[in-house]
Amino acid sequence: MLTRAAMRVASRGASAAALTPARHMSGATTGLLGGNNAVGDIFTPTEDHKQLREMVRAFTKAEVEPQALEHHRDEKFNLPLFRKLGDLGLLGITADPNHGGSGMDATAAVIAHEELSASDPSFCLSYLAHSMLFVNNLSVNGTEDQKARILPSACAGQTIGGMCMSEPGAGTDVMGMSTRATRDGDDYVINGAKMWITNGAVSDTELGDHFVVYARTGDKGGASDLSLFLVEKGMPGFSLGQRIKDKCGMRASYTAELVFEDVRVPAATHLVGGPDREGKAVLSMMRNLELERLTLAAMSLGIARRSIEAMNAYARDRKAFGSSLNRFGQIQRLIADSYAEYAAGKAYVYATASALGLDSAGNRVDSDGVKLYCAAMAKNVADRAMQTMGGYGYCGEYRVEQLWRDAKLLEIGGGTNEAHQKNMARDLSHVETLP
Amino acid sequence: MRVFVGVKRAVDYAAKVRIQADKKAVDISNVKMAINPFCEIAVEEAVRLKEKKVAEEVVAVSIGPKQAQEVIRQALAMGADRGIHVTTDMRVDQELQPLAVAKIMAALTGEHDPSAWLLGKQAIDDDSNQVAQMLAGLLDWPQATFASEVEVSEDKKSATVTREIDGGLQTIEVPLPAVISADLRLNEPRYATLPNIMKAKKKKIDTVDAASLGVDLAGQIEVLEVSEPATREAGSKVEDVDALLAKLKADGLL
Ligand SMILES: Cc1cc2nc3c(=O)[nH]c(=O)nc-3n(C[C@H](O)[C@H](O)[C@H](O)COP(=O)(O)OP(=O)(O)OC[C@H]3O[C@@H](n4cnc5c(N)ncnc54)[C@H](O)[C@@H]3O)c2cc1C
Repeated sequence: MLTRAAMRVASRGASAAALTPARHMSGATTGLLGGNNAVGDIFTPTEDHKQLREMVRAFTKAEVEPQALEHHRDEKFNLPLFRKLGDLGLLGITADPNHGGSGMDATAAVIAHEELSASDPSFCLSYLAHSMLFVNNLSVNGTEDQKARILPSACAGQTIGGMCMSEPGAGTDVMGMSTRATRDGDDYVINGAKMWITNGAVSDTELGDHFVVYARTGDKGGASDLSLFLVEKGMPGFSLGQRIKDKCGMRASYTAELVFEDVRVPAATHLVGGPDREGKAVLSMMRNLELERLTLAAMSLGIARRSIEAMNAYARDRKAFGSSLNRFGQIQRLIADSYAEYAAGKAYVYATASALGLDSAGNRVDSDGVKLYCAAMAKNVADRAMQTMGGYGYCGEYRVEQLWRDAKLLEIGGGTNEAHQKNMARDLSHVETLP
Repeated sequence: MRVFVGVKRAVDYAAKVRIQADKKAVDISNVKMAINPFCEIAVEEAVRLKEKKVAEEVVAVSIGPKQAQEVIRQALAMGADRGIHVTTDMRVDQELQPLAVAKIMAALTGEHDPSAWLLGKQAIDDDSNQVAQMLAGLLDWPQATFASEVEVSEDKKSATVTREIDGGLQTIEVPLPAVISADLRLNEPRYATLPNIMKAKKKKIDTVDAASLGVDLAGQIEVLEVSEPATREAGSKVEDVDALLAKLKADGLL
């Protein structure tokens, strides 16, 4: 295998040799999104963001890309590679620096997700579930003790975490969840099942290490019914129901059903945020959903970017009827529409990221909006890439086939399109004029 | 021992370059720039020397415009201790030429007293491969170029360097101080991790105006014209071997 540096030196030579004549180069840099990514633009607010992007991009190219196809085909989660994200400081990217985190902002999280997804969205989904849904959730909502006990190993990649909200019988209708935590002396006793839990398993038989779990602690029929618990592998009664296989996409990310049978957790230590947080989980849920949706939208950007690169190169190099494919109007439309939609989505995502505080709720219109727009955008762009590439595009080796499959999840996970539309229309109904 | 490492900001390896309309240079106005890959290898080696407790201090030096600080920051995030930014507005891919760079480095050497300079063997913009050799000449230090392995002796008075030469590998011993230039296979540079990117922000970068060092910065070489590599003409197909031979003969190639 070529070393990373060798790859760079080699491809530098190759690209110099492949210099295209000037007339083809006139549009080669793409204003806002191309060129230098100057520090100070919305994609790169600070020098730290620039270095972060360069680091994740180099890592993705050298280590994520080469394993993606095989893990996608075999439905295998790459745990050793995942742990390496810990060495890079990415697993705790937004987490409290006093507990092993890197203390960066929502824009940094977007950068990491965009870059990883350009090679392997399903690997990135596991990253998202761990870093955003578990680590960031605990960092924002947990007590100092909980953070000190759990975050250092989770940030280092020694342990794997996830978030349990959905159930076999309740997804979009979150408040309809039936998993229940009943107070019994100093403990809560949890019963129920959670479904579709990313990182719920790390193999066919083994649970992930820790989870934040939403459960019902009341029946008033409102926000005060839900509480958030920490549940850990090894607790009696907590088990792996099944690893869910044969997903359409996100195949290298493990999804599981988790079962809770009289799982006893101490109230003093395992109610996230402290013993007085019973019935107060909806705020944590709202805060975390915003970041989840934003970073899922960021994954769309990586998928779209990679798809456009693939179709653009293919349409330039592939000849039919005596000219390049990109001379045909129908193909030009696929490429140009894709680029414009990608650029619009990217601007929307980064603008939303810059306004999103990690510990505040209140950006719901836009955190739903970016995902609603970008998920469909990525799915359409991947589809156009496949269309442009014909039979080759339909086969795994050319990589857009995986992107096409993975993109669809973004219209379902973290909230369906319809859920976003419902939320947004409700929030917008209070608005008279738009800024 | 104190190790100085040169880090050049060059056009990114993956960037597509085009030529300025006046054909006097490559257009770098909106091109992605990055640390020269060979310099990155040199930084990695210096940091490893520090981790092995051979070096006490690693200083990253870059010569160039304001943005050269970016590659110094990267070296700091990889583990260098501090930086020196020698400022100039001259284009480092062609106006500021190897001899002037070597003179600047020689001037810094007098002031800071490093035990070694670790440099990339060449930069991927001008591909000159001259600075290490010239610097050694100016300082009258031994040089160990194209290093693929560097081992410093226990007393830190010499280094054993394996060099990649045309015929294979050559191992030499050089007394320190010396100039060492890094070849591709010397090491695999680490990633600048997020915690180290954050730590690097607290490290110091001193700034020195190149013009204040009392060296002649003028170029020795004038660029007359920069042109793109010739594009490859389309090939043609022949029916069989006989036709191939006939064609090669007809074209005077056989
Ligand atoms: C690969 C994968 C990973 C996941 N990871 C996690 C995870 O880590 N943690 C977690 O908690 N969950 C996870 N999920 C679950 C995901 O969030 C849910 O699938 C999603 O919220 C939808 O819920 P559901 O599947 O129950 O569908 P339902 O809610 O049953 O929806 C079915 C259909 O009905 C529509 N619908 C429902 N209500 C309405 C309405 N009021 N108006 C109009 N249409 C409506 C929906 O939009 C959808 O089209 C994951 C899912 C997948 C597939």
